[in-house]
Amino acid sequence: MTEDRIDLLRRRIFGIGCVGIGAATAGFLAATFRFLVPNVLYEPSRRFDIGSPAQFPSGSATFLPDRHLYVFNSADGFFAISSTCTHLGCTVRHTGAGFECPCHGSRFDENGLVVQGPAPQPLAWYAVSLSPRAQLIVDLDQSVGPEFRLRA
Amino acid sequence: MNAVGRSIWRIGWPVTDKDRAAAMISSIFLHIHPARVSRHVLRPTATLALGLISGILFLVLSVTGLALMLYYVPYPPESYRSMKDLQFVVTFGIVLRNMHRWSGHAMVAVVFLHMCRVFWTGSYKAPREFNWVVGVTLLILTLALSFTGYLLPWDQLAYWAITVGTNIAGYAPLVGDRLKFLMLGGHVIGPMTLLRFYVLHCVMLPLLMLMLISLHVWRVRKDGLSGAEVHALPAPAEEAAGVFPASTKTHGLMALSRRPRSSVEARDPNDEVFAWPHLLFRELLVTLAVVVVLHVVSLVFMAPLEEMADPLRTPNPAKAPWYFLGLQELVHYSALVGGVIVPTLIVAALVSLPYIDRRKTGIGRWFAPERRLANTVFTALVIISIALTIIGTLFRGPNWAWVWPWA
Repeated sequence: MTEDRIDLLRRRIFGIGCVGIGAATAGFLAATFRFLVPNVLYEPSRRFDIGSPAQFPSGSATFLPDRHLYVFNSADGFFAISSTCTHLGCTVRHTGAGFECPCHGSRFDENGLVVQGPAPQPLAWYAVSLSPRAQLIVDLDQSVGPEFRLRA
Repeated sequence: MNAVGRSIWRIGWPVTDKDRAAAMISSIFLHIHPARVSRHVLRPTATLALGLISGILFLVLSVTGLALMLYYVPYPPESYRSMKDLQFVVTFGIVLRNMHRWSGHAMVAVVFLHMCRVFWTGSYKAPREFNWVVGVTLLILTLALSFTGYLLPWDQLAYWAITVGTNIAGYAPLVGDRLKFLMLGGHVIGPMTLLRFYVLHCVMLPLLMLMLISLHVWRVRKDGLSGAEVHALPAPAEEAAGVFPASTKTHGLMALSRRPRSSVEARDPNDEVFAWPHLLFRELLVTLAVVVVLHVVSLVFMAPLEEMADPLRTPNPAKAPWYFLGLQELVHYSALVGGVIVPTLIVAALVSLPYIDRRKTGIGRWFAPERRLANTVFTALVIISIALTIIGTLFRGPNWAWVWPWA
């Protein structure tokens, strides 16, 4: 092999090496980014038992502060509405006509729809189901519409 | 001076101007100053020393922050108890905590004022465009440092300010929810969030800030302060004709590059004085004043510490840290406008400003008449943002309803 061809080969190998180091660096950065996303959350479960239907008298609205949840037992069934304001995460209060946020003055009607104020979205509704042991189960990862009712 | 002393300082206490110049360039800490400096940039009104004060505050925050780390436990509810310990049990703990908190607030304000000064004196123009961008990044980093530190006391004030703040971040389109999840390390503010904010606040952001401050200061050193070039001598005739004699070239990092205009040849020797003592002693005076003011403020005013964070009880009203209350006031009208559109536009406008406004007139003077339009627009925006911040801070009560602060 001539001097020139060896030189060319050396440059090519060097180029391949650079691409390899670049790819390894990119992969390492991607892995580091993925590392930042936790796999296990030591938080309260997103799906939980709130008690037996009998604990919620008919026509009542019950506030579960530690779950950030209002549970209703209306004439046509159970439903659960989040007490977290969709605006900036403050806890809304249930008043006679609906919900009120103390932070920025958002108001919602009895179905959690925005009546007034800066909240961009209605309050979240979560699916309520009955477990085999006849307990009410709320699943925060399962959003439902305001027509949802669990007939008990 | 004996041999040991000379091995450390190279030059003894300088008596002659020659030794003073040598002292400035032979010390790693002093050589961020030039040996000689324009009289015009030494006037207090040239810069108001706002950049220097920002740097001093960063130093004070680093020292007090490192000290506080020896007692602070980044895990709730111990974090709140360690704050109580700092306040009531640790000797001088309350003073250090006060100083850290007030310096942090002061730094946000001073860095903002520094940016205003640079705008009003037209100092972001060529060749300093990129240093303005570095400065904007430093302002954002200052806000991020203050914001991450806000959660650490783990009291009601901290918890709900960060709730409101991270929800504003959640409004970012497409990535908002994931960004919030990544910031919080979960769905709700908890131990994971505290640890993340702690590491960001104590290690990652300060390191990044130190690097960018070094870059910022190094570029100021290379480009000179903007007041000086107004008084510089005209360029030599060869340079004007595009021929650069060897003496005006300098070895840059990437290539042989043209020496900046404020290099020794281009400056008027009659305009200059020695940095030691004229610049150095002014800096010491400002440092002394800042440290005295910080001590007085920290001894008189107590940093707030409310009851322990309670995720079940929202205070009414819940407010973000004061420097985000202008945004929160906008968010009150529209989440998308206040939370996404306005902040994005502000940052984009600030970063692109020196590349849009390329006219080379009115550099190095306050409120130059040639820059009336730019100054008017910028001043209007500054007044609006200060007004919104004051409204959000003082004029908003329960349910974010209008209240009079004196009522």
